[in-house]
Amino acid sequence: MSEVNLRLRHASSECVEFFWNGRSLQGRKGESLAAALLANGVQTLAWTRKSHRPLGYSGSYVAGVLARVDGVPNVRLDLLAVTAGVQVEMQNCWPSPAFDVLRLSRLIPDRWLQGGFEHTNLVPSGTPLFQRWEALLAFLAGVAKPAERTAEVAVPQGQYVSSDVLVIGGGPAGCAAANEAARAGRSVVLVTRGHRLGRYAQSAGQPKPQLDERVQQVTGVEVFGAYREGQLLLGAPHDPAQGAVAFEADDVVLATGRRACPPVIPNMWLPGVMDARTALIMAHEQAVAPGARVVVVGNGDQTAHANRLRELGVNVVAVKAISELRCVLGRNAVSAALFDQPVACDALVHAGPWLVDASLTFQSRAEGLLQLREQRQSRLRTVGSAAEPDQPLPVAARTRYKALLCPCFDVSCHEVEALIEQGITDLEVIKRLTSCGMGPCQGQPCWDLLRALVSARSGIPLHTLPRPTLRPPRRALSVAQAAGLADVVEPLQ
Amino acid sequence: MTPTQPLPAQASIIIVGAGIQGLSLAFNLAELGVRDVLLLDAGYWQGGASGRNGTLIRGAFSSPEWTRFFAHSCHLWQGLSRRLGENVMYSRRGYSMIGERSSTAAMLDRTLEVHKACGINSSLLSAAQLREVLPALAHQRVSAALHLPDSGVAPHHAAMYAYRQACEARGVSIRYRTEVSAIDRSAGRVTGVRVGEQRIATDTLVLAGGAESNRLAQLAGVPLDGYPMRLEAMALEPMRPLIGPAVALLDRLCYMHQTARGEVVGGAEVAERPQNTLNTDVPVMAATAKAYLEMFPQLGHARILRQWAGLVHISKDFGPLLGAHNALPGLFISAGWCYGHAGAPAAGEFLAKAIVKGVVDERMRPFAVDRFERNQAVVEPGIVLSHFE
Repeated sequence: MSEVNLRLRHASSECVEFFWNGRSLQGRKGESLAAALLANGVQTLAWTRKSHRPLGYSGSYVAGVLARVDGVPNVRLDLLAVTAGVQVEMQNCWPSPAFDVLRLSRLIPDRWLQGGFEHTNLVPSGTPLFQRWEALLAFLAGVAKPAERTAEVAVPQGQYVSSDVLVIGGGPAGCAAANEAARAGRSVVLVTRGHRLGRYAQSAGQPKPQLDERVQQVTGVEVFGAYREGQLLLGAPHDPAQGAVAFEADDVVLATGRRACPPVIPNMWLPGVMDARTALIMAHEQAVAPGARVVVVGNGDQTAHANRLRELGVNVVAVKAISELRCVLGRNAVSAALFDQPVACDALVHAGPWLVDASLTFQSRAEGLLQLREQRQSRLRTVGSAAEPDQPLPVAARTRYKALLCPCFDVSCHEVEALIEQGITDLEVIKRLTSCGMGPCQGQPCWDLLRALVSARSGIPLHTLPRPTLRPPRRALSVAQAAGLADVVEPLQ
Repeated sequence: MTPTQPLPAQASIIIVGAGIQGLSLAFNLAELGVRDVLLLDAGYWQGGASGRNGTLIRGAFSSPEWTRFFAHSCHLWQGLSRRLGENVMYSRRGYSMIGERSSTAAMLDRTLEVHKACGINSSLLSAAQLREVLPALAHQRVSAALHLPDSGVAPHHAAMYAYRQACEARGVSIRYRTEVSAIDRSAGRVTGVRVGEQRIATDTLVLAGGAESNRLAQLAGVPLDGYPMRLEAMALEPMRPLIGPAVALLDRLCYMHQTARGEVVGGAEVAERPQNTLNTDVPVMAATAKAYLEMFPQLGHARILRQWAGLVHISKDFGPLLGAHNALPGLFISAGWCYGHAGAPAAGEFLAKAIVKGVVDERMRPFAVDRFERNQAVVEPGIVLSHFE
């Protein structure tokens, strides 16, 4: 645990006491639990499923911010504000976070844990030992204790919202598209997962985007799925007590921007690595620095991001092109970034490579049809940076076990390289053999990393490698919220 | 796994469809000494229903015909790891059929009589026994529970891997992403198939193409009952074991289980116009969630990781269409599967025997391809599926 204070000068002075594994910590008003824990020197928030590697708040891997909060498992700490007395507990520990025997699994050689979670011929079914073995695996793979037994959870009633135009994304591009449609006299709904417009733009020092007052705003709702060839879209607020929303519109505009995807470089999954969007918003809105010594890498926009972080009071010690990054060093957290020379740091912020989240266009185009039949044009229109092409993902020459494609399932480059050597380059098949991308992140961003690695190692051009099916709702929806949609969307008759 | 090689000019038996039905049949053919078996599949490995099902293995139903067939299959599943030499991970965790309405309780009473007559190990659970088997269930909603202790689940990725390895070890050639474009017939019997420009000669052809069965029958120029239908499922994010056995919530047309990875996987059916697509929709997810929430309240806060759809081939009576096709000598069918994962070991064994030895097993006979022409549909009241009216 570091003793360094990561709180920036514009931090709130109002203290809030909360508990991490039973230990009392001080948060500040306005911080998320993930930021409050980071400010208290807690970098490791979760453990990977098989090898018990540490994971933290990265912005890329949702598995790194899942914990038990007041008896409810798998709550996202980056989306929940710190409140007085809240009890946060680490998962994937046994018997307790303080004395965790499961940590010994980090000593198991990597090659023993390849091939899905449980696939092994050591204990085949039909033997007396199998049922016990399976029960043990299910316990280990389950990661989280189920919720406490309570009375029936209330069903939050789903809503139905229809308009001429639906704009997804509340950044400058989304607001501009919504304003234009409103000026043309059309009814417009703009939905954004944040509670305010233009969070990233404002955190980057740009002005708040202005929205025409005729545009109806739906904030705090993440649109996670496109159905019926894109004619119906579903979104849900993160709070499971609030109902999901079904959207229908003649025109749908995607202004969802791009996200920074971690490159395929050893140890990029370590706590301390954070994408630039997450780092900027955290520093700006919550006044917590990603680290005490921060290295910023990027694909051309690293200097702008570094300067903005410095303006906010963050100690940036080096700014480099992402192509120069060879490796991240550290065992339990980032200790240095290796370029030609190592640069000691406790946080690495990566501005890029910027990639588009293709889920909604994928689903609206019926690409899931076995990838063999002809694909339709998507009826969703993309604007802003979401319409720009993906940046290439750097892949380190030598990766072995230290570069993980899918930290949730501990799928290493080495494991996939062994399959490529056997001639297996079909991403759907690799997914089924390794479980890559089947954890809480649902392949975002793991399948982009997998695709980049397979292309780099096999020589198959990236654009000819179809992505595995991008399936909704990728944990954006709870069972209770889904139940609340029962009367909102009728079956096809 | 097979690297790409040129297709052969001929094969002793060609199976179209390398899902679990095709693979199980090929394995059994190889075990009976047939060489040069060729499997052709238009999709990717596990891309069809064999990689999309709920992985449940139910060893008994409510009709004697279904019960005898699936009891044998369940028995084969229990020894399948040894037989294939790879771990299929068959988990003998039991299968509970839960009724809520009193009419369903009465149906389960009748089912128990059928099970007794067929020698099935099953029992109606008392309230105390049910609490022990399924402590997390909302017991106040339950009217009856019929439990099959020998049934269970086998993850499809493990089963498909095991069958594929066992087939390849026995010299079976398997080609994915290889679409059959035409079926050749001459002098009233099958003579071969075409893949693009290339012709592959054979005198025995098996259509095991799942949802593509009607299209394949059309290529062969023969009629076939049934139509493709989308079924949907969803997986919750993992949690430590909460639900022990596989569960069928009969009154909600919903089945579910918790996988060895901790995910709760299942799906409910809703009455919709049959869809021929692999894209998912909202009503099934909502109905499944409602069933989970009401029957297992602890799942209420759990988040849904993914939903997906699979396509099955549905016959008039939901039963398989298994055996020789009388309209074209040399043509065999394995279609109409909606419990195909559970039934594959038995179906492969029976059909291989029918092809190689010409012997039709008594347990397979009720599911003959031409049964509807003879007005001999099999009535099975205990399945969680319905036709769209």
